[in-house]
Amino acid sequence: MAAKTKEILLDPLFDNNPIAAQVLGICSALAVTTQMSASIVMAIALTVVTGFSGLSVSLIRNYIPANIRIIVQLTIIASLVIVTDQVLKAFVFDISKQLSVFVGLIITNCIVMGRAEAFAMQRKPIESFVDGIGNGFGYSFFLLLTGFFRELIGSGRLFGAQILPLATEGGWYTPNGLMVLAPGAFFVIGLAIWALRTWKPMLKEEE
Amino acid sequence: MSAKHGTGYTMGFAAAVCLVCSVFVCLSAVALKDRQEKNKKLDEQKNVLKAAGLLAPNEDADAAKVAELYESVQPKVVDLKTGNVLDDVDAATVNMRAAISDNSKSFEAPANDAKVLRLPNQALVYEVMQDGKPSLLILPVSGKGLWSTLYGFLALDVDTTTVKGVSFYEHGETPGLGGEIENPKWTALWKNRTVYDENFAPAFKVVKGQAGSPEDAPHQVDGLSGATLTGKGVTALVNFWVGENGFGPFLAKFREGGI
Amino acid sequence: MLRKLLDKQGKAFEKGGKFEKLYPLYEAMDTFLYTPGDTAKKPSFVRDAVDLKRMMFTVVIAMTPAILLGIYNAGLQANMAIDAGLSQLDNWQMALVQMLGIGFDPANIIACFVHGLVYYLPILIVTFAVGGFWEVLFAAVRKHEVNEGFFVTGMLIPMLVPPTIPLWQVAVATSFGIVIGKEVFGGVGFNILNPALTARAFLFFAYPGEISGNSVWVAVDGFSSATPLALAAEQGMSALTQDPHLWYNAFMGYIPGSLGETSVAACLIGAFILIVTGVASWRIMLSVVIGAFAMSSLLNLVGSDTNPMMAVPFQWHLVVGGFAFGTVFMATDPVTAPVSNTARVIYGFLIGVLVILVRSVNPAYPEGMMLSILLMNVFAPLIDYYVVKAHKKKRMARYVG
Repeated sequence: MAAKTKEILLDPLFDNNPIAAQVLGICSALAVTTQMSASIVMAIALTVVTGFSGLSVSLIRNYIPANIRIIVQLTIIASLVIVTDQVLKAFVFDISKQLSVFVGLIITNCIVMGRAEAFAMQRKPIESFVDGIGNGFGYSFFLLLTGFFRELIGSGRLFGAQILPLATEGGWYTPNGLMVLAPGAFFVIGLAIWALRTWKPMLKEEE
Repeated sequence: MSAKHGTGYTMGFAAAVCLVCSVFVCLSAVALKDRQEKNKKLDEQKNVLKAAGLLAPNEDADAAKVAELYESVQPKVVDLKTGNVLDDVDAATVNMRAAISDNSKSFEAPANDAKVLRLPNQALVYEVMQDGKPSLLILPVSGKGLWSTLYGFLALDVDTTTVKGVSFYEHGETPGLGGEIENPKWTALWKNRTVYDENFAPAFKVVKGQAGSPEDAPHQVDGLSGATLTGKGVTALVNFWVGENGFGPFLAKFREGGI
Repeated sequence: MLRKLLDKQGKAFEKGGKFEKLYPLYEAMDTFLYTPGDTAKKPSFVRDAVDLKRMMFTVVIAMTPAILLGIYNAGLQANMAIDAGLSQLDNWQMALVQMLGIGFDPANIIACFVHGLVYYLPILIVTFAVGGFWEVLFAAVRKHEVNEGFFVTGMLIPMLVPPTIPLWQVAVATSFGIVIGKEVFGGVGFNILNPALTARAFLFFAYPGEISGNSVWVAVDGFSSATPLALAAEQGMSALTQDPHLWYNAFMGYIPGSLGETSVAACLIGAFILIVTGVASWRIMLSVVIGAFAMSSLLNLVGSDTNPMMAVPFQWHLVVGGFAFGTVFMATDPVTAPVSNTARVIYGFLIGVLVILVRSVNPAYPEGMMLSILLMNVFAPLIDYYVVKAHKKKRMARYVG
């Protein structure tokens, strides 16, 4: 059991990464990754939502009428997202301002729905929870990676602290404006997927 | 998934799920409301304090410090058309940005370069008090830049023309070019410039290139390189808000004494 | 003699030899000096019927007038500003010119040319060093040969940047253009986007301070001189017509701008060479011009009180900015343009329309050539697809009917 749980947890991190292997959940990854702090909060929010939606859907999986199962999943996910959004607004206001609508848009994030429908509907609650957390981690991994490069290259900072002294302030680093724009995330994610697929060729789609 | 269920079961199940979910959502919303309101207020107060120069641009003050600093700030409600201060209106009930989308609380703005479309009937002005007398006036300003609407606060001396500080807290300009309007180095250049000429007509201008010292160029501020259009927007919005359609009438009355 | 030397060295680079990994480098040297060992054996190829090497050299020859004039003009603009009493930039390029003792006389053609050259050459060298590095790296990893395709890209990039650009930015942009613009798609022939333009677009968005604005185009300290295009966008046509010689100067290329963006005359010579040799498609060039003409005439008719760019007539659009250079050397890139003739006409026309649209309507990007060509690059395969499909349908109808 322990080995199996570990596998469920770690599999989505690299071997079956939701972003790299399934290319899901890209939109929020483009929007919120200009800064590490925002990326981390977003990553935690999504991980929590995926974990608990997996848990709750799995708990009632045997009672959900098949013909309304999608809408039931959606209701559960939406409630979780709203609660998360409220908590963020109350405790990390500055960051929730940056994330703006994108916390709400976790509802539409295909990873959450996908795991609820594909995994939690068939598996036991604990497994589903672990699977949700694992997929959340897989997403978080890419989010943090993107956030790291975008903030460092785009503004010479990490977590808001100046790492590379800017040329305009007497240092040597000229920030790369492209990284701050949304396409910058495309390039970082694209290159990361390229690297991951070179490392693990089995991720490639069959041609 | 279990066997087939009847319609009644399905309906009942849906209702139960909805009920449980809504209880969760309500609970969290109600329980956290106070905190959220406090955060929102704190955020606004911080922006005002930053424009007033009471808080450093990158300083992250905690609630207690903001509250202490904000004690000297007095929000006032101004009727934009007449420039009169409405003492009987509670400042906490005025939300300029929300009012704009409510036709009963706002009116169509006359054509202007700042591309402000609607104006609220009631606007907020923040006065920083010192020894019982106002020492600074802080005006909320907004207007179109290149891509987006810029929102900021402009702090004026009691002569209503000398700039004491400015801060843009929300915009969507190009990072590194127009986005530099939030750079404290640039906003520091505004200090001691005047927005009016000697006849109190708006004369402020973000020039191209260097403007020189406040003595040589009393109304001008350096341009941001590569951001001519954002600069034009800033020029337009400052002149609009200190002009006759903005806070002009209020500022005129303030100068006369009275307020 | 050289042949023998190469052949002898060749063994060491072949499979199993000690420099197996470096085979692409050897092969590149070899084909650069001689005809490639592998040439197209049958003329039935859809894309590469012509020897890549011959094509590449024709393009470079066609570009030469624009390069020479661009170098001269970069020096001329700087010398004119110095002559007007502005201080020189404090950098090694300037020190080099001073060491050579030629001086900064704008009337002296040699002085201008040398002054331009000290800016052009370092950019060219950096482009080739960095681009060559990536080419060889990918060739080694993917075990294919280094393509000469980079040669044209490498010649194009220095033409698209301002003379004062920091060299490290040239290096970063070249890497981006080659890796993202080309190698991720599988290398030469597979790329969707023109790598040189990708590099330019990267610079434009990543380091806007160094590649836009008014102070970057002339290599003199604190000299701010708007390109005529920026001038028109800000002050309208009156700013352009003030100086009666400006149109002629813009046509000849004696205006501030990137090296290749300036001279229409030189681009026309290039266009002539490319069309006569059949290397570039005259259909694309012509339809770009027609598209631009149609769109600018339309905007002139519509007019606008607040947007002076709408009133700029066609003959001005033709001579300012990168219109001519882009039309002749970028839009016609055989890899990124469509293949069928009908598709080429549509592609060119849309580029022309988009250039004027971006220039006139978008407030922030006065130069529309780069963006519109890149956008149409993306659509090129789609246009091809529909043209072929339509053609098939027609043929089917003929058979059946």
